[in-house]
Amino acid sequence: MLNAGFVIRRLLQVIPTFIFILVVTFLIVRLLPGDPLSATAGDRVTDAQVAQSKAELGLDQPVLVQFVDFLRRVATGDLGRSYVVRIPVWSLIGQRLPPTLLLSAMATAMAILLAVPLAFVSALRRDRAADMVIRGAFQVGLSMPVFYIGLVLLTVFSAQLQWFPVGGYGDNWPDRIYHLLLPAFTLAVSLAAVLMRNLRSAIVDVLNAEYVDFARAKGLMPRVILGRHVLRNALISTVALLGPMVGTMLGGAVITESVFAIPGVGRLMIDSIYGRDYPVIQGLTMALAVVVSLIFLATDLLQAALDPRVAK
Amino acid sequence: MKSIVRFAAATTLMAGISLAAMAASLAPAAAAPRGGTLVYGRYADSLFLDPVLNDANVDIWILSNLYDTLLLPTDDGKDVQPGLATAWSLSPDGKAVTLTLREGAKFSDGSPITADDVKWSLDRARDPKNGIWSFLVASVGSVDIKDPKTVVLNLKNPDPAIIHALTVFNTAILPEKVFEAQPGATDADKAKAFGEHPVGSGAFMLQSWSHGSEMTLVKNPYYWRMGDDGKPLPYLDGIKFEVIPDDATRILKVQSGELDASEFVPFSRVEELKADDKLNMELFPSTKVTYGNLNVRPKLKNGSDNPLSSEKVRLALNYAADKDAIIAIVTHGVGTPMSSFMSAATPLHVGQGTWFPVDVDKAKELMKEAGFEKGFSFSCLVIAGNVDEIGIATALQQMWAPIGVTLNIEQVDNATLESRYRDGDFSMRLGYWTDDIADPNEITSYFAYSPTIESQHSGWKNEEADKLFEQSQQELDPKKRADEYARIQELYKSGPIIALYEAPYPVVLKKDVKGFLQIPLGNNIFSGTYIQK
Repeated sequence: MLNAGFVIRRLLQVIPTFIFILVVTFLIVRLLPGDPLSATAGDRVTDAQVAQSKAELGLDQPVLVQFVDFLRRVATGDLGRSYVVRIPVWSLIGQRLPPTLLLSAMATAMAILLAVPLAFVSALRRDRAADMVIRGAFQVGLSMPVFYIGLVLLTVFSAQLQWFPVGGYGDNWPDRIYHLLLPAFTLAVSLAAVLMRNLRSAIVDVLNAEYVDFARAKGLMPRVILGRHVLRNALISTVALLGPMVGTMLGGAVITESVFAIPGVGRLMIDSIYGRDYPVIQGLTMALAVVVSLIFLATDLLQAALDPRVAK
Repeated sequence: MKSIVRFAAATTLMAGISLAAMAASLAPAAAAPRGGTLVYGRYADSLFLDPVLNDANVDIWILSNLYDTLLLPTDDGKDVQPGLATAWSLSPDGKAVTLTLREGAKFSDGSPITADDVKWSLDRARDPKNGIWSFLVASVGSVDIKDPKTVVLNLKNPDPAIIHALTVFNTAILPEKVFEAQPGATDADKAKAFGEHPVGSGAFMLQSWSHGSEMTLVKNPYYWRMGDDGKPLPYLDGIKFEVIPDDATRILKVQSGELDASEFVPFSRVEELKADDKLNMELFPSTKVTYGNLNVRPKLKNGSDNPLSSEKVRLALNYAADKDAIIAIVTHGVGTPMSSFMSAATPLHVGQGTWFPVDVDKAKELMKEAGFEKGFSFSCLVIAGNVDEIGIATALQQMWAPIGVTLNIEQVDNATLESRYRDGDFSMRLGYWTDDIADPNEITSYFAYSPTIESQHSGWKNEEADKLFEQSQQELDPKKRADEYARIQELYKSGPIIALYEAPYPVVLKKDVKGFLQIPLGNNIFSGTYIQK
């Protein structure tokens, strides 16, 4: 199956990516116009007070000195404190990452559950009514803005039918999953649309492949053909797509989290960028880099499991 | 003799009326029921709950529920009433304030509030190194403990605003021992730890706080103020603040009953919510003013000449702006034109009607006199995506076109805008202001007194206004002080702003939520709030 060398090689590849992200984030936040104190201190702060706070935070030092100091602290696992809410970045990320991860996981699961059967129906009934309807529906899903889907779902299913809470994040796990059903579905719509289209064309390709003809000629049951040969082969390209899509979805989570009032990292990132909260932007970028790297690793491993040639 | 009789009669009548009013307020139709947790939707979370080192409205508007000050603002935000001090007096020379501390008052951890705590808290608040609010109590030279129940503030100079300053959040009384026991070497470090687990003597105390998501307050069992039923306030067991940045979602949550109330209702939704008989759409009077902020330096940052340095041009722009139209378009009619640079609710405000009633001909004339008959163009910074700001700027763009002025709208994010504003690298931006103290000195210090922040970073400097402000800061004769402020407001007519409108605080509540109050200074007061069962 999977060979250890491949896994280790992939893990090692993550290290330079990390260092790159570390440097780039540090520089980019400092290249943004505006500074943390102007952004958060408001109109009433005098220039002397800004200068005093800058000195306290070490922001009056040359960028190189700040960078060395930053690296030294990161090496000891200290991401610093938020300039805005003044609590350690680790604890902020610890509070805000789980809702986003749960939301993304639920959205991915929903997207797969939606996309796989529909892709099959669509591919097997190619160019017939069912195919047209499914493709049309997903076209609509793909072209609607995420915030709009969210608001429509909220208005219909939460406010009018009252089946779901209007946003928020519950107090215990079952409650949280219940709270996140609508937002996860909102995110899943566009993800499912892309997955479905990709999977559908992959299935169509595979159905036309010679080995499927051979399997049919052997007299295998259609169920076995579809499960063992068609799905497995069609999934290889789709799984490769899943990694980058989950990365993109974390971006979509920003809007969804705002509409549904979910205290996730998407909103934290936006707030931190607006507030030029350097330590939070840096810490959060690193945390997200870890998450995305792990997802890419997982999809690579999954792909390697489906198709051993990948690991070669 | 006759006058004495008249005086006595009048006094008796007044006393009778106020007694009747007191009786009415003390004995409502039914006693307010106790218990329950109110769920309140906020557009943004608080950032830092230390009363001295905070600097944002999202903090200020919550602090008064956690901390108590020696004096409290009245419900109309204009006067003072007893707080942790039951009596106060100003010496005849205006240089000493004597305060009698409340008997038996305790912090929320059950420890007594001592004169030492009061002295320590006020000393911390007035330290110029501590935060941006120290100027409010800058006149205090020393805080002396006369006896365990009496504290005297010795002033460096007479300060007509000092009594009101003792109602402002930054003079809240904190337990010295608890604060000093926090980890950290500096006051700022200790404040960080204390701000996460604050101990005060307000009606509520912090139970839990998940930043950016929710904050739960529970009733302070040691709160000193009594309710209508003779038992200590508050009526509620607790308040849960939920942070919901999206306006539409916040309103949906009130409509679906998941929230009991929500702040920051967009003005466009006010009419619709007023029509909903399950809801109570409140527009609380405020001190909030919305205006255009101009750079009036002769040269702009890029070295080009600045037409806005001409007083006549600024007057022309003010006369050409149709405030009623902006109020109709942007606030959906919720608002009134500014009649001074300070709100009508700010003490010593002078003015009636619109400060600059629309008069395009006069504006054209002024442009001609200023030598800009052919007009000019300049740009206004707005926060990208902010519907209100873009709406105002677009309306002004159209209103100024007839006098030859081309307004370019430059959309940037808030951090960029603030830093350019601070650097004086702008022509115009839109500004908002809310008073924190029931005195005109705060707004005037920032708007018209150049040493503070160059009159809102505009570069406007008027020596007479500066001098009048300095005088007014020590003026004990109310009549003279009123005159000084009247003159400053007159001088500011040619100042660095486009006066737009005043607008209330829109809060929507479920019908069964009673007794909630947002005072004109913005503070949310939950101590008398209850849920009608």
